[in-house]
Amino acid sequence: MADDSGLRWLYPYLEDADSTRLGLPVFRPYVPISIVGAAGSSVIYDGLIDTGSDAILASALVADYIGLDLEDHDGETTHAVAGAIMTARYKTVSLRLHRPDSDPDTFEEWEAPIGFISGWQNPSLILLGSVGFLDRWTVTVSRFSLAVAIEGVDALDRRFSLVLPRE
Amino acid sequence: MEPIRTDFAGYEGMYVAIDHRTGKIVMADEDHHRLADRMKAEQVTHAAIRRVPRVGEPQYVGLG
Repeated sequence: MADDSGLRWLYPYLEDADSTRLGLPVFRPYVPISIVGAAGSSVIYDGLIDTGSDAILASALVADYIGLDLEDHDGETTHAVAGAIMTARYKTVSLRLHRPDSDPDTFEEWEAPIGFISGWQNPSLILLGSVGFLDRWTVTVSRFSLAVAIEGVDALDRRFSLVLPRE
Repeated sequence: MEPIRTDFAGYEGMYVAIDHRTGKIVMADEDHHRLADRMKAEQVTHAAIRRVPRVGEPQYVGLG
């Protein structure tokens, strides 16, 4: 794993299309993400940070576009997503987190399992959950500051002088 | 920090590419693959894809 302990990237919240709640705009914590497959790298997506999700989930459209064969998956399971029951087919692939200005040539890359779901309707085509994202980076989400900070995986330990047991 | 604002009006039901520097939608298509192809062909690199819900679609407030 590359040494990214000094990494500190700050992203502004993005306005969502769901801007009708009580007449106020809705801002959410998105970061620019791409996925690498047999057909090369995808375009960049606004990946929604979802601390309530145990996994990274994505639309099967993304897998299809980059040439991933989901019939040859590592395992599948059903999830309740946004009130619907959906089947996720998991594959371990390379993800790229792009710098805040979405410069396509500056990114951090790592491997993680992603559950790809057909019939995906969420505005974000990629949800970034615990395994593969929140265990790879220290993510600080502040609605007060309307910002997301991405730092190296041990940033919280260093900030609070923690020594946490590792699995 | 100032959030990035975007005007989604007129793009309901479409996949859109949003320039993060300006918040403007720079490209849109009803078909995901066609939009991604167009972004690559026209080297639209400082933008990211999202889907704009159709009119009347319920709003996401939580995903579980």
